[in-house]
Amino acid sequence: MRRVGVFVCHCGSNIAGTVDVERVAKEACKFPNVVFATDYKYMCSEPGQQVIKDAIKEHNLDRVVVASCSPRMHEPTFRRCLESAGMNPYLFEMANIREHCSWVHPDKEKGTVKAIDLVRKAAAKVVKDEPLQKSSIGITKRALVIGGGIAGIQVALDIADAGFPVTIVEKEPTIGGRMAQIDKTFPTLDCSACILTPKMVDASQHPNIEILSYSEVEKVEGYVGNFNITIRKKARSVDMSKCTGCGTCWEKCPTKVDSEFDMGLGKRKAIYTPFPQAVPNKPVIDRIHCTKFKNGKCGICQKFCPTGAVDFEQQDELITEKYGAIVVSTGFNQFDHSVYGEYGYGKYPDVITGLHFERLINASGPTMGKIKRPSDHKIPETVVFVKCVGSRDEAKGKSYCSRTCCMYTAKHATLVHEKIPGSKSYIFYMDVRTPGKGYEEFYKRTAEEYEAQYIRGRVSKIYQKGDKLMVRGEDSLIGRPVEIEADMVVLANAMVAREDAGDLARTLGISYDKDNFFTEAHPKLRPVETHTAGVFLAGACQGPKDIPDSVAQAGAAASKAIGLLSKTQMESDAIVSNVDESRCSGCMICKGICPYKAIDAKIITERIGGKMAERQVAEVNKSLCQGCGACTVACRAGCLNLLGFTNEQILAEVEAVCL
Amino acid sequence: MITEKIRAAAKELLEKGEVETVIGWERGTFWYNSTPVFISKPEQADRLVFDDFCANNLAKYLLDYRNADGKIAVFVKGCDARAITRLIQDNQVKREKVYLIGIPCTGMKEAPKTVSSQDVAGLPLLAKCQSCATPNPVIYDILLGDPVPQKEVGNRFAGVEALEAKGADEKYEHWGKLFSECIRCYACRNVCPACNCRECAFDANGLNWLGKQNNLQENQMFNMTRAMHVAGRCIECGECERVCPMGLPLMDINRKIIKDLNELFGSYDAGLNLEDRPPLGQYKLDDPEKFM
Repeated sequence: MRRVGVFVCHCGSNIAGTVDVERVAKEACKFPNVVFATDYKYMCSEPGQQVIKDAIKEHNLDRVVVASCSPRMHEPTFRRCLESAGMNPYLFEMANIREHCSWVHPDKEKGTVKAIDLVRKAAAKVVKDEPLQKSSIGITKRALVIGGGIAGIQVALDIADAGFPVTIVEKEPTIGGRMAQIDKTFPTLDCSACILTPKMVDASQHPNIEILSYSEVEKVEGYVGNFNITIRKKARSVDMSKCTGCGTCWEKCPTKVDSEFDMGLGKRKAIYTPFPQAVPNKPVIDRIHCTKFKNGKCGICQKFCPTGAVDFEQQDELITEKYGAIVVSTGFNQFDHSVYGEYGYGKYPDVITGLHFERLINASGPTMGKIKRPSDHKIPETVVFVKCVGSRDEAKGKSYCSRTCCMYTAKHATLVHEKIPGSKSYIFYMDVRTPGKGYEEFYKRTAEEYEAQYIRGRVSKIYQKGDKLMVRGEDSLIGRPVEIEADMVVLANAMVAREDAGDLARTLGISYDKDNFFTEAHPKLRPVETHTAGVFLAGACQGPKDIPDSVAQAGAAASKAIGLLSKTQMESDAIVSNVDESRCSGCMICKGICPYKAIDAKIITERIGGKMAERQVAEVNKSLCQGCGACTVACRAGCLNLLGFTNEQILAEVEAVCL
Repeated sequence: MITEKIRAAAKELLEKGEVETVIGWERGTFWYNSTPVFISKPEQADRLVFDDFCANNLAKYLLDYRNADGKIAVFVKGCDARAITRLIQDNQVKREKVYLIGIPCTGMKEAPKTVSSQDVAGLPLLAKCQSCATPNPVIYDILLGDPVPQKEVGNRFAGVEALEAKGADEKYEHWGKLFSECIRCYACRNVCPACNCRECAFDANGLNWLGKQNNLQENQMFNMTRAMHVAGRCIECGECERVCPMGLPLMDINRKIIKDLNELFGSYDAGLNLEDRPPLGQYKLDDPEKFM
């Protein structure tokens, strides 16, 4: 006979508003094995936990049920509470009568009946619970940062400053990311490069930071604290140890290619660094465009290189390293507006995006900072800005707000006014959203002092008329159609996830949302963690973010990684799969199905028919197992069971509710 | 004559001591049933036959020899060979511990309705042989006789499609009627090469969700569970249906699952080779996840 205690939480009025908690507690007393039940305003609070501890002592409880919120919220809290009362923390069940009940049911009578059922279910399961033990594992005190933009650099600097070695893997030839492309930053208008490049240099010179540029993460194995990561160092065709970054090669290279860094508005060579302040400031050869790789002729760079660093024979190199924590900071892409027929499908050269505009106003950009339209290099007098291109548009784009466009468009309009005397800016907008320190003031200044004309409404059509672009839209505040003759149109394209974000998420085993942004473990309480222990998120790979937010999140992710790396041993969860070796036939179906590679075969020896015989069975690596339960359903003999969620425990729940 | 060939092969293997047991067929009590035989001495080889009634899939017997010291020789038809592949893939049999003697097979005959005339040629093929897609062994050490041509078998899912067209109530009535006849003899399980658990869930004690009563509800549970436990691994030998004393159309259930799997994960035929893993036994990044 078990002695079960049931504790029903009011959660203020969150639960008590739609569930008669006192009745739930009263009914719970009648369930088999329940010897004590009570209700309390906030079970998770200090006095609430004391209620549980006192009852355990007073009523000699050996099983505890708390009916409150989601286990995602407070299961760890109550497990700790049991532990401090001297009980095994796994002799505990949580009935979720908030998210699963009070929040979704308006009817108090029906809600109460359902809450009673949910508690009955938990009380039936808890009787079948067995004490479980956590195991502990060692930690590799090194961090990997994937993506070397401002977020990645900040994470690396913070972790490195705490004394742990960090590797930044960056797929481009240089770190710096999107921020390196940007000219000025809102709301202070300080120069992006002036605040970014010192950080890039700090990262490259930090004794604890290793930068692997032009490299990608190929494979991730292992688990929190002990990841085995295979990194592909793409063939750079330049020997990093010999190259001094003198620049002779790219000066001599005869092949000109559109520069990705300049958004195709400028040219680079086939052997190149993306921009002069690149870190590492050593070139790569773009093998697709290089004449030597195309037809075997040329090789001029090799001839002129004073240190003999150019190596056409170089191959991709795979290295495998151990890390304890991973921070993902792979950033974002710009929405491709070619789905918008009304904006010319991306075919008008003078309809450009925000990032193109950044390159046009950048002093080191293709126009030396002079705003010239791409088609005929004339200086535009009238510039139209269109916001929410791809954002907040469920039909053609993304449902979310990209958060940065209102501010950078205001910044662009300010810069147009400053750089082109007598110019005029028009800004088509849906709303102006400026939730940030100094943001609203900046927007006000743009509209009032910098004379940008804000027009509330969507643009319905952009078309070419002579050398002008006609922008037709509606001013919804005065309810009249407007048409503006513009020299250049700048679209505030949405921030979207990297096109390969889904692949990386699957490599890492983290989840991602419908828009391919990586999903945090909890939107409020665990914003930089993922559901995969040891993997953290920073910057715009998790959702649209501006620079201050990315840097703040980077600091948060770094502190989480540091917290992990500063432990010597780490406890792993006890909710793992378990093999009943006596029934396991060793078919190993479970091995192929395990997404975490946690199952392997092992040979056991046993007495069969009077002699010793060897037999193969499955074995679960308790550190690798994430408790997903996939193997338990694959095992037809049912000899795999998820501890804490065994077949017997689940069936007890089903019977409590259905029979 | 094939029978002479198999006797010679068995005799040679036993004489040379290459194998310790040969599993084959011998003439049964009646002329229309040939039953499995296990021989371990060369002089017993003359008991072996191969005729129109060697329907038994011999692969399953290998489970009894899991801990044998030497090799076991088995005669395999097309279906038997797929069953061997099944057992090797399920790690129940080691390839190097079996010696497979392949026999191309044109199909086995049904037992006659009346036993008066011995007109073998006039007997129809067994249902399972009529839809056979692998008359030649897919895995063997030696092959006796020449491979036989694959005959046209038509759409093997025709029966399933007809059932799918029925309404839910109609389906329930159809299967309810059939399963109420099930006598829970477990012949279907015992003969199935994919049923190779150490302890069957239906024999286990203490699993209170699998009842042992013989009533419609529990019979349904048993038959569906049996089918689900071999899902993705059924080699379509049709033995379950052949041995069912109540004549239940069990292959309809197996084929329904195969059809669903093919639609979900792409075409897959179990037991054709050792390399392809069952679709439900692997984790692929591009697996469909329509439910998410």
